[in-house]
Amino acid sequence: MNDLLSFWLDSLPALLDGLTVSLEVTGVALAIGFPLGLLLALGVQSKARSLNLISLCVVEIGRGAPALVVLQFAYFGLPQAGLTLSSFAAAVFALAWNTGAYTSEIIRAGLESVPIGEIEASSAMGMMRVDTLRFVIIPQGLRVAAPALLGFATQMLQASSLCFAIALPELTSNAYVIGTNTFRYMEILSLAGILYAAICVPATIAVGVLEQRLGKHTR
Amino acid sequence: MMNLNPDTLKLPQRELAGQADKPILRLEAIRKVYGKHVVLDDLNLTLRSGEVVAIIGPSGSGKSTLLRCINMLGPATSGRVVVGDLAIDESIPPTAQQLTSLRRSVGMVFQSFNLFPHMSVLRNVSLPQERVLGRSRKDADKRSRELLARVGLAEKADQYPARCSGGQQQRIAIARALALDPQIMLFDEPTSALDPELGLEVLLVMQELARSGMTMLVVTHEMNFAETVSDRVIIMADGKIIEEGPSKEVMRDPQTDRAKRFLKAVKDR
Repeated sequence: MNDLLSFWLDSLPALLDGLTVSLEVTGVALAIGFPLGLLLALGVQSKARSLNLISLCVVEIGRGAPALVVLQFAYFGLPQAGLTLSSFAAAVFALAWNTGAYTSEIIRAGLESVPIGEIEASSAMGMMRVDTLRFVIIPQGLRVAAPALLGFATQMLQASSLCFAIALPELTSNAYVIGTNTFRYMEILSLAGILYAAICVPATIAVGVLEQRLGKHTR
Repeated sequence: MMNLNPDTLKLPQRELAGQADKPILRLEAIRKVYGKHVVLDDLNLTLRSGEVVAIIGPSGSGKSTLLRCINMLGPATSGRVVVGDLAIDESIPPTAQQLTSLRRSVGMVFQSFNLFPHMSVLRNVSLPQERVLGRSRKDADKRSRELLARVGLAEKADQYPARCSGGQQQRIAIARALALDPQIMLFDEPTSALDPELGLEVLLVMQELARSGMTMLVVTHEMNFAETVSDRVIIMADGKIIEEGPSKEVMRDPQTDRAKRFLKAVKDR
């Protein structure tokens, strides 16, 4: 037992470095992916044919292709086309696309949950479509989507472990490296799992609390 | 509390408004079809400035559809809507400018209130003024508070709509529409979602509004309101106006069989 604890303690700095990278790559991917998801949701709803078509393509490819494939495409594939990305940039590219594609559906459902009557009232008062979106539809739609979006964010942190395939020194990669050096895979991967859980479990609880708070004025 | 005795309603403002006698809204040959189903059948109607007109009639007769044609929430298949100097051909998509000016002139109150639940009552009334009329937040809030006081809800300004009763919500919706200074107010069954007591508070506000000289077109099932508050009653059935005239005459002595049957049915309840 003591042996295990001291092994964990020795490995912890490397894993915490890895966790930092995991959180960074997830954070940047979400910071790009959520707004992208909103834009795609609006694009998919748009009546403008070309916008609608482009949005649909981006969403369907992003949802259809496994994140691991997009990740490797960005890191190993794009250089062939003359675009070389760092492993961090490639990871952000792939995870942001994935986030945008999936969250666009979550956000679209949120936007569509806003009662048609409110939208009619808004246009009957002469409010421009863009104002109706900005003040009526998006604030309420995002509120509805928020819990699912934050749930998706924790999933994304877990999905960032795929970046180990493109040698990004994130939590899983670092744990794996320690494993190859010490052959104590079980112990080190357990610690990595605990660190992921240490972020995800409280986040899930926070989402539940948030969900209750957001519903407040409608009840 | 509420007195719908017709004699108390003859107030000078209304007489004055009547004298102006200027058509403010004209509907010309409004026709709306869904496939083969004719919802509105070449309907014509003129409202004079300050006039209060009630539209009654059985469900599915096209009353609400007609209101939605007027502000183009659901444009007609053909026909013309003339509001003041603005003439709109319903069969072609309006320009953005036409639509804006139409909707600035015509306010609407819905059966289901349609307040914005994520905004305080004050924001509900102020936001459209800021976005549509370009009023400053300060001016809009000032106007909102005046109107909320007018509908008896000054103290609700900082609440959320969900904390208000249905009757209060509808009065807020009326204040919200009035805040944009419309020339005409359309009411689409404003009390149908309310129990009689709460409906009464809304009717009182509408009665006060009618007295102040507002031009109103009211789709309603409130026969008392139709008879005593409105100047004129229109009975619709199957997409047509089947009877039209001064409120008391139409309500007490309808001429057509269809109108007689409808009025008998609602009055004998």
